[in-house]
Amino acid sequence: MRFGQVIGRVTLSPYDPSYRGGRFLVVLPWLPPEGENPVAASSPLPAGNSMVVYDDLGAGVGDIIGYSESGEAAAAFADPTPVDAYNCAILDTCLYRPLRSNCVPAGQAIT
Amino acid sequence: MLHCRVEGSAVSTIRHPSLNGWRLVLCQPIDAEGADEGDPLLAVDNLGAGLHERVIVTTDGKSIRQRMGHDRSPVRFMIIGILDPVDSSQKNLQPA
Repeated sequence: MRFGQVIGRVTLSPYDPSYRGGRFLVVLPWLPPEGENPVAASSPLPAGNSMVVYDDLGAGVGDIIGYSESGEAAAAFADPTPVDAYNCAILDTCLYRPLRSNCVPAGQAIT
Repeated sequence: MLHCRVEGSAVSTIRHPSLNGWRLVLCQPIDAEGADEGDPLLAVDNLGAGLHERVIVTTDGKSIRQRMGHDRSPVRFMIIGILDPVDSSQKNLQPA
């Protein structure tokens, strides 16, 4: 999945019948800040191209989501559906401790 | 498959039912030397990969759905292997 920040919603009036019940979110790629903290929308808005993501978890504007793309997004439907991105999870907290240098110490348990 | 380094994890309570019981691990794709290559991604994991360990991530949805036992899971990245740590003595091994 990829990180995304929800910045808006899209409403379709004529839509493909297999979309029933779903909503569409406008999402920007989001990068987690270092450290362990609850996810928060970053302002100013992150750079990057926005995507429209199918959602039936009920994510709102300002939520940080994990969405998957391409064939796996369409796999979530019983009948074939033209969907490019699917919202798999609304994130609560995120731990991010990058290793900037390229030496590789042994693994440590994730706290 | 992607060569990544584990750099964190994420917690999510509202999520697709197929994700229940799986950890969400933040993986940073890296090249052979370990330099970052692209944006971090979220992979599901049940092997228990530790922080800063190097892992192999698959993007093949069909095999992921089989392993998760859920035929409509939208997951795209799954950790399928953990690489042994490279110590400095192995770094300059020349192919025979």
